[in-house]
Amino acid sequence: MAMITLRRQGGRLASLISPSSVNGAALLRGSSLVSEYDSLLISIVLTWFDELELDPKGARFVSTQVVRNRMKSVKNIQKITKAMKMVAASKLRAVQQRTENSRGLWQPFTALLGDNPSTDVKKNVIVTISSDKGLCGGINSTSVKMSKALYKLNSGPEKEAKYVVLGEKAKAQFVRDSKKAIEISITELQKYPLNYTQVSVLADDILKNVEYDALRIVFNKFQSVVQFIPTVATVLSPEVVEREAEAGGKLGDLDSYEIEGGETKGEILQNLAEFQFSCTMFNGVLENACSELGARMSAMDSSSRNAGDMLDRLTLTYNRTRQASITTELIEIISGASALTG
Amino acid sequence: MASNAAVPFWRSAGMTYITYSNICANLVRNCLKEPFKSEALAREKVHFSVAKWVDGKPQKPRGGGGVRGL
Repeated sequence: MAMITLRRQGGRLASLISPSSVNGAALLRGSSLVSEYDSLLISIVLTWFDELELDPKGARFVSTQVVRNRMKSVKNIQKITKAMKMVAASKLRAVQQRTENSRGLWQPFTALLGDNPSTDVKKNVIVTISSDKGLCGGINSTSVKMSKALYKLNSGPEKEAKYVVLGEKAKAQFVRDSKKAIEISITELQKYPLNYTQVSVLADDILKNVEYDALRIVFNKFQSVVQFIPTVATVLSPEVVEREAEAGGKLGDLDSYEIEGGETKGEILQNLAEFQFSCTMFNGVLENACSELGARMSAMDSSSRNAGDMLDRLTLTYNRTRQASITTELIEIISGASALTG
Repeated sequence: MASNAAVPFWRSAGMTYITYSNICANLVRNCLKEPFKSEALAREKVHFSVAKWVDGKPQKPRGGGGVRGL
């Protein structure tokens, strides 16, 4: 290969090294003194010469090709982010409606059993809800941070805490430093539009696979398109509810309710706790999905704006360089002409 | 017709209230007339994948959903 290059370009090389009339190419070709290594070196030098010659003839200005390519890619990225923003915005409208409707599911439970985030129990299960996809700002990190804080609060010598992780993104963050505490991870939740059946089956799956005294569900509550509040919803196990009710306090009013039918209070409470968990999960998953879309919308909005700014700056640089080269050429022509006439 | 006396039976069959109410809801959905019936049934798609973790390592994930075959 090297020899071929050498032969092809030999003539030029010879004229470069020895300007005399000696036929350099023939000399080099015939000589056995030129080893394989030398010919390789020569071919490298020759390619270098070749590259020098590849420059456009008479180019005296910096090439604007790089800037043009950069502008093109920034423009494409901007198109993508704009499209993502549109998609998120149109999805958000439907999900927001459903989310606001689903709030009616947990409110009666909170009225009846109250929300008791400070209850101190032995077995804590922290259910962290996050998204499967990224590019949605900091909502996943906030719920992970919140969950870790809850974990610290609820793990000690006599009590333990476990994570149940929903969504790919929170899983990735937990794997880094607290993978020992993960009990179950659930993904691919949003392949089809979220519905109650799906979330209730999921809640059932969680209930069957973990032992708990208190389930603490962490999610981002949707406030507005730009505001999401990391929220904890606590669901207590029936035993703990009964214990707390006996101890009085907020749950003390539970005894004033009359129970119809032949069921015992324990049975009712167990049914209630299960149903409460699935309803709270449904709302949590929806709230988080809604926050995800809102966060994605604002994230994509700001990134399209940034891409626009970047494009403006690049265009300015590009035009300035172009105009500078035009001006220089004009000056050269004019001064050349005036030198001839004057 | 769900009766109040049924609770111990489905409970001893290893069902939770959630499973029980899902079966009931599915029954109701099946009682709808067309086209509402297929609409309602198509809406309730169950899909997710669950992985149990042992000692910081995920076990083989499996598809979730106990009432999908109903």
